[in-house]
Amino acid sequence: MRLRDTEKVQLVKQKAIELIVKDGLEGFSMNKLAKACQISVATLYIYYKDRDDLIVKITIEELESMTKGIMKDFNPEMSFEQGLHKQWENRYAFAKEKPQMNLFFDQLRSSSYQQTLLSDAISEFKMMMGKFMTNAIERGEIEKMPLDVYWSIAFSPLYNLIRLDQEGKSLDGSPFKVTDAVLWKTFDLVVKALKK
Amino acid sequence: MDPKNFDHILLFKTNITLEMANQSLCSLLNNNTAINSWTVDHEDIDRVLRIVSYTLSHAEIIQLLTSHGYECCELT
Repeated sequence: MRLRDTEKVQLVKQKAIELIVKDGLEGFSMNKLAKACQISVATLYIYYKDRDDLIVKITIEELESMTKGIMKDFNPEMSFEQGLHKQWENRYAFAKEKPQMNLFFDQLRSSSYQQTLLSDAISEFKMMMGKFMTNAIERGEIEKMPLDVYWSIAFSPLYNLIRLDQEGKSLDGSPFKVTDAVLWKTFDLVVKALKK
Repeated sequence: MDPKNFDHILLFKTNITLEMANQSLCSLLNNNTAINSWTVDHEDIDRVLRIVSYTLSHAEIIQLLTSHGYECCELT
């Protein structure tokens, strides 16, 4: 009798993400994953129907974990600055805790799995994010604008800082780390840009 | 289903290509009432056939497949 081992499942997930980030989706196979985990290919097929099933299941689980992290102690009724501050805090903490996840989602975004990223798993999350912006507009805190425009201004600077931090290099090539001072100074500028 | 027991998942290395996974293979497996469900991973080099069955053994599946001209052995 084969026993399911939750630690083994965790290992499979972690190695799958590592391999996809490192070699891309094309270079990813069940054989490589089994070798990386030092388990038999058969064990992988116990947990997952096939390669596709594995990628989809891991993606949805990771999306759920990410949205849970981002939503922690946040609610869409918060004042604009307070709510956005919480968002930055949570998103930054998630990127620090799981530095590979943004790279993993980037791989999927440019593949046939793009649709998986828009799954129902995150529909509540998207609804809450939209509601937060609408509330801020209705209270007259920010200009009326489309969600994508809002998102680009509100979060792109954050994700760019995170990327520079992970690469460890400033634009001029000198070493770079995001400090609290840098992070919250950028946040203040974003708030200034968005607020009426 | 006992979540700790996976004896009902039977795995095989096969030579089933997408072109071979045709009507006759589908009806062969679909019409077998002892088979709850089955899938072939066409993206894998071993074309892994995954069968869920609470009654059939590896040997019985191998016999079924090979007698219809497919290569099939247990995936370990």
